[in-house]
Amino acid sequence: MNIVAPISRIAEIAPLAAAGAHELYCGMVPQEWVGTFRIASANRRPGGNLGSAAELEAAIAAAHTHGCTLSLVLNAQQYSDAQVAAATDIARAFVAMGGDALIVSDPGLIAAIAEALPEARIHVSSVASCRNASGARFFGELGARRVILPRDVTLAEACEIAAEVPDIEIEAFVLNDGCVYEEGACHTVHLPGRLGGPICLDRYTYDYRHRDGRPLSATLARRLAANDEAYRKWLWYRFSCGFSTTADGLPFGPCGLCAMPALRAGAIAAVKIAGREGPTARKLASVQMVRRIFDALEAGADASEVMRIAQGLRPSHEHCRTGYMCYYPEVLTANGPAVAPSALPQAGRD
Amino acid sequence: MDRMTAPELAVSAVTPKPLGWLAAAPDERLAHWREVLEDDALAAWIAPLAPTHLYIGSEFCEYLMPSPRTLDQALELAADAGLRPVLLTPIAAPATLRELAGLLPRLPDTAEIVVNDWGVARFLLEARPELPRAAGRLLCRVLKDPRLSGPEWAHQCRHSLDSQPLRALLARLGLGRIEIDVPLLAESDSLADLPAGAGVHLPYSYVAKGRMCRPGALARRGPERFAPGRPCQKECLSFSAATARAGADGDAGTRHVGNTVFGRHRHAVGEALREAVAAGRIGRLIVPGERL
Repeated sequence: MNIVAPISRIAEIAPLAAAGAHELYCGMVPQEWVGTFRIASANRRPGGNLGSAAELEAAIAAAHTHGCTLSLVLNAQQYSDAQVAAATDIARAFVAMGGDALIVSDPGLIAAIAEALPEARIHVSSVASCRNASGARFFGELGARRVILPRDVTLAEACEIAAEVPDIEIEAFVLNDGCVYEEGACHTVHLPGRLGGPICLDRYTYDYRHRDGRPLSATLARRLAANDEAYRKWLWYRFSCGFSTTADGLPFGPCGLCAMPALRAGAIAAVKIAGREGPTARKLASVQMVRRIFDALEAGADASEVMRIAQGLRPSHEHCRTGYMCYYPEVLTANGPAVAPSALPQAGRD
Repeated sequence: MDRMTAPELAVSAVTPKPLGWLAAAPDERLAHWREVLEDDALAAWIAPLAPTHLYIGSEFCEYLMPSPRTLDQALELAADAGLRPVLLTPIAAPATLRELAGLLPRLPDTAEIVVNDWGVARFLLEARPELPRAAGRLLCRVLKDPRLSGPEWAHQCRHSLDSQPLRALLARLGLGRIEIDVPLLAESDSLADLPAGAGVHLPYSYVAKGRMCRPGALARRGPERFAPGRPCQKECLSFSAATARAGADGDAGTRHVGNTVFGRHRHAVGEALREAVAAGRIGRLIVPGERL
């Protein structure tokens, strides 16, 4: 099972490789793209991209020098006909440079790249929302070698898909991506903070009503208010516990470390650390955390031992107990809490 | 609108609802649409149209796939009303595909299916290839952030359905029609160059959906409260929320229903839509059959 980590600068490659990443991925936006299409990015991220083909070529060389592969992200939700041609040109250049894989979401672009560059290794982005084996087969028939599952899948679903399509690699999220909505089904932009930021920060007031026109009962209104309060708490966890870290810089937030034994047992080929736009320190700490679990698994640790190690890394026992930080909270039920509930504060209980 | 340019009209509902209003007097039908659409001008435009299709199920949530019994009821309702039934399907987890497989034999040859998952499209190509299928609005992706209002966003809010590779894939999968949401901005030209017979949803466009469901968490506790794949009591069928941001007067109106955020179309977009319908560019209008 490979560890997949993001980079946004060439200087990040050596430390991330040394920390234990096997595969790296990046974005790159040529200036011509911005000028032609008047869109800041070819991959949904206006920031966190390499700035030129020359930088991309240097990044590929650096990754290979340090024993990693480098993938290029082309994962806008959908590309127009002109954009498909331009993105295929980017893919062609990347492959010619010796780049290892293209991470693509739009099936039209996948088909175009597969036809133009049959030698290219294509990974289906999580933005494609491929959540079943039939979808994986569809993308495999287009020429994809790997499917990155969307963030919100269960362990059982991930492992079922991997078992049904053994000829297609499956990658699953393991750290840091906090979007509330499904990436492939969210048609918004991350506005600057002063204009609202991501829509899922949820700066909305809610005015509930019965859809059939009946007034809400006082009891239901109270329950909805309590549910909203729990949701706000969950949202805080989802957004990396207020974007906090430990004193050593280890990030809190969405995490699937305790699930790595199940993911490995389920033949998941790779685990993904998200956060191309994040600071280098966060990426490095993230790789170190995942690598610690990877090494424990290699050494024969069982699921309970992995959970003990994972929750002790930051440490994050109180946060972990809530389950709100988990990509795969079912592991808490399956493996039991790593610490006695009586030792935990009230904060995470609802 | 004259008979030559009148599009098909589909009425959509998660579960079967009485259709007695179909045979009601014009003023009663108008009252029905006013209540459902909460827009007098839109109601007046829709009311003279005769519904042609009944959409059943959900594009947004796997828990809202109809049970076999519910589907049978919907099919009976559609047949009694002389409407063609259309099964809506969501992004599918493995279990959702199994449920769908159980429903397919119940669909008559007159039925259609709206597909929002490439895996579902591939599955249907093998399971019921003879049924007409449309690519739903989750496959036909368009930027529609209701917080955007300026014309500077228009070019980004245009659809990308001119993509020849994408159109080739739709054809290969037997997805003979496409459906999109009413566009966010009238300036975005999003209703131009649509494939023939395109369907447009109104008055709400879906903005974002999660697998996490806030109202669905109402009856749940513990670590998995907001996690995907948990039991659901379908609270979204009972209530929804009008949502607003303080000081954001330019926002399109939004409503949160279950796991989905909907944006309501702005007046100018409604005008653009009517022009597109008058010009014969829209094959089908799809409106909710119940109040959101």
